[in-house]
Amino acid sequence: MDCHNEDCSRPQEEEDIMDIPLDDPEANRAAAKIQAGFRGHMTRKKLKPEDKTEGEERQEDRGQ
Amino acid sequence: MAPKKDPKAPAKKAEPAPAPAPAPAPEPAPAPKAPAVDLSAIKAFGLFDRVGDNKVAYNQIADIMRALGQNPTNKEVNKLLGNPSADDMANKRVEFEGFLPMLQAIINSPNKAGYEDYVEGLRVFDKEGNGTVMGAELRIVLSTLGEKMTEAEIDALMAGQEDENGCVNYEAFVKHIMSV
Repeated sequence: MDCHNEDCSRPQEEEDIMDIPLDDPEANRAAAKIQAGFRGHMTRKKLKPEDKTEGEERQEDRGQ
Repeated sequence: MAPKKDPKAPAKKAEPAPAPAPAPAPEPAPAPKAPAVDLSAIKAFGLFDRVGDNKVAYNQIADIMRALGQNPTNKEVNKLLGNPSADDMANKRVEFEGFLPMLQAIINSPNKAGYEDYVEGLRVFDKEGNGTVMGAELRIVLSTLGEKMTEAEIDALMAGQEDENGCVNYEAFVKHIMSV
């Protein structure tokens, strides 16, 4: 087996992915802001069907 | 003359031990900024109270804020809660009067992100500058940077967002995110 063959090196896509700046504080801060926005959206989306039943304002646990 | 013994009896202050007074009904203060928040905040707070003690657990605070339209980072919430331990997060509870100032702090936070911030943040990963990011790359970013998201969270978020090439048009994505 010829391990010096270029085909053995990581494919281009993986190299791009490895470019992700794990230690960059700016990148992490930007990511955290985006994630906060996403989490906000998902929480509201999850609660939406409950919101529609405004007539039944029960504080009982609906299991969610 | 019998000496009068004047017993200097210490004045007995009949002070009953003040019992912890129950929190009075919160009066909606005429806040200049969005007074309507108080009413929906009370409602949301009540919905999250699963115990019925008019309190919510520390680990529910972020979600109540999100339900009220805010997008706090977990770090911001932890800071407001005094950086609680995992045990505190699960077991400590706070009443509405304690929650409201935290909510106000988030509402009035100076560095809140808007549409442009999200788009700019995602543009960083737009390698070809064509308005799209690779879904796969976005998933990795979300799970390895910042406040890491779980695979389940990411799947829920990305559902239906990637086109047949696995790409995400991030401006449309952000509009979708901000619509709820």
